[in-house]
Amino acid sequence: MSTPEYLARRLLQLVPTLIAILVVVFALVRLLPGDPASAILGDRALDADVERINREYGFDRPIPVQFGIFVRQVLTGDLGDSTSLKVPVAQLIAERLPITMLLTLMAALISVALAVPLAFVAALCRDRLADGMIRGAFQVGLSMPVFYLGLILLTVFGARLGWFPVGGDGDGLLDLLYHLVLPAITLALSLAAVLMRNLRAAIIDVVDADYVTFARSKGLRGSLVLLRHVLRNALISTVALFGLSIGTLLGGAVVTETVFAIPGAGRLMVDSITGRDYPVVQGLTLALAVLVSLTFLLTDLLQAWLDPRIAR
Amino acid sequence: MTDAAHLEAAVAAGRPRRARPPGPLVWGGAILGLSLFLAAAPSLVAPYDPLAFDYGAILQPPSPAHPFGTDNFGRDVLSRVIHAYRIDMGIAVFATVVPFVLGTLVGAVVGYAGGLAETVFGRVVDAVITFPFLVLVIAIVSVLGPGLINMYIAVSLVGWVFYARIVASEVKVQKRLDYAEAGRAMGYTHARIVLRHLLPNAITPAIVYWMTDMALAILLGSSLGYLGLGAQPPAAEWGVQIAEGKNFMATAWWISVFPGAAIVVTGLGFSLLGDGLAALLRVRR
Repeated sequence: MSTPEYLARRLLQLVPTLIAILVVVFALVRLLPGDPASAILGDRALDADVERINREYGFDRPIPVQFGIFVRQVLTGDLGDSTSLKVPVAQLIAERLPITMLLTLMAALISVALAVPLAFVAALCRDRLADGMIRGAFQVGLSMPVFYLGLILLTVFGARLGWFPVGGDGDGLLDLLYHLVLPAITLALSLAAVLMRNLRAAIIDVVDADYVTFARSKGLRGSLVLLRHVLRNALISTVALFGLSIGTLLGGAVVTETVFAIPGAGRLMVDSITGRDYPVVQGLTLALAVLVSLTFLLTDLLQAWLDPRIAR
Repeated sequence: MTDAAHLEAAVAAGRPRRARPPGPLVWGGAILGLSLFLAAAPSLVAPYDPLAFDYGAILQPPSPAHPFGTDNFGRDVLSRVIHAYRIDMGIAVFATVVPFVLGTLVGAVVGYAGGLAETVFGRVVDAVITFPFLVLVIAIVSVLGPGLINMYIAVSLVGWVFYARIVASEVKVQKRLDYAEAGRAMGYTHARIVLRHLLPNAITPAIVYWMTDMALAILLGSSLGYLGLGAQPPAAEWGVQIAEGKNFMATAWWISVFPGAAIVVTGLGFSLLGDGLAALLRVRR
């Protein structure tokens, strides 16, 4: 199968996934105990208000009809209005989500930059002191909750040493990037640990493969063999893992943004829960799931590029 | 032990083998044994009442009387950390046991039946893994209301999928082996073949994943506690405690730092046990 064909097939696979996402997000608010309108308005709601909300959101219609309305609204970019902030949910998401995406992207880059060289060191010094130390440190990193690590980094490098701001999103893009350094490191550590562990095992598998021995026997330089033959092949499974981890990373971003008071989508999510702002919770869940499915698409394509056999 | 295992052990004993101490298993088991003991009988070990205010001893740094210091209400941090084992170890068990049992059963059925069941299950997996796990759990908790029980419900609604996926792929391999064929030839029912013969052979990877999942459950539970969506104050829970101490980090670091250390140590215990089990049972992960 050619690359365009693979791309087309992969895009087509996106359709059932998106439908499933819509079903789950639609079902979410219907999980509410009692009727959704009283849940939105709180316990002391007046009957008249409950009726009005029911009519406004269409809760009094049959479920399939409600779903149809929901899908039509989503497709036209109408995610309803925030009940507490009184602005369209779509507009809120458009404002806040880019910050979360930037944070997640920075964290992803940092974790790859940490994981790749350390995995090489650990794999090539297998079972020696350096390997043990790197694996031990990452084992701890894996058990460290994001909010705890963030709090410690914030206190030490923000408040105590004053190297980084202690929260907020700053003024302008450069300042924003500066404000996101500590949060991104916080978020990156556990992903780096997961990737490191996987990549180390993959490198150990690949290093002894016949084609690597062959490349060496041809007299290719050691570093060239490592980059062109070992890394490329070891990366294939790690890229898949990276794609699957993006959801964890976005979940971690929710917590990180709360710790560092960054006004991104995660912070908005937590605030909306406290304020029982269901349209926002629903809209954000939808937006984040779509973001993840697009990332799956990207990592699949990246894998196909690393190993063209996958596209066949 | 089966004959094959005996043979393998004999061969292994015959060749010079690098001594590999069962370190992870021992350490992980020791940490978790202690954690379970603290969860079962916190009052035997904790020097103070975890909820008792003492306005005469507010924000005291660690000292012989209060090894982990006191918080802004004069509560003993060590006693709170110890009592929190009950809630957090409880989270590790109760947030994972339903997904483990349900996921294993569904996975066994799906893997054995194949066909339509497998296709439908594949779609469900695709849908669930597109949602960031924490975001979906937070969203469900937000609808059901904060608290531990609702958190267990939320985690169980999502978590079974991962076990089912592991067991289904394992059962798919096992059902093609001769002993499954023999069971069918003997006229055993499908239920008997799956439950009595396939499942015991297919469940090991799910058990190893269970260990990792319990560590993840503690991370998730304490995160929700920190965000105010899990255990509710004044309950002693590590995430709640860290949130309570966050505004005192510069002046009274001990309020947050010790509960966090407990999370890290417990998490390490679970991953060591998982690694040890994986090595012992030869599960590739």
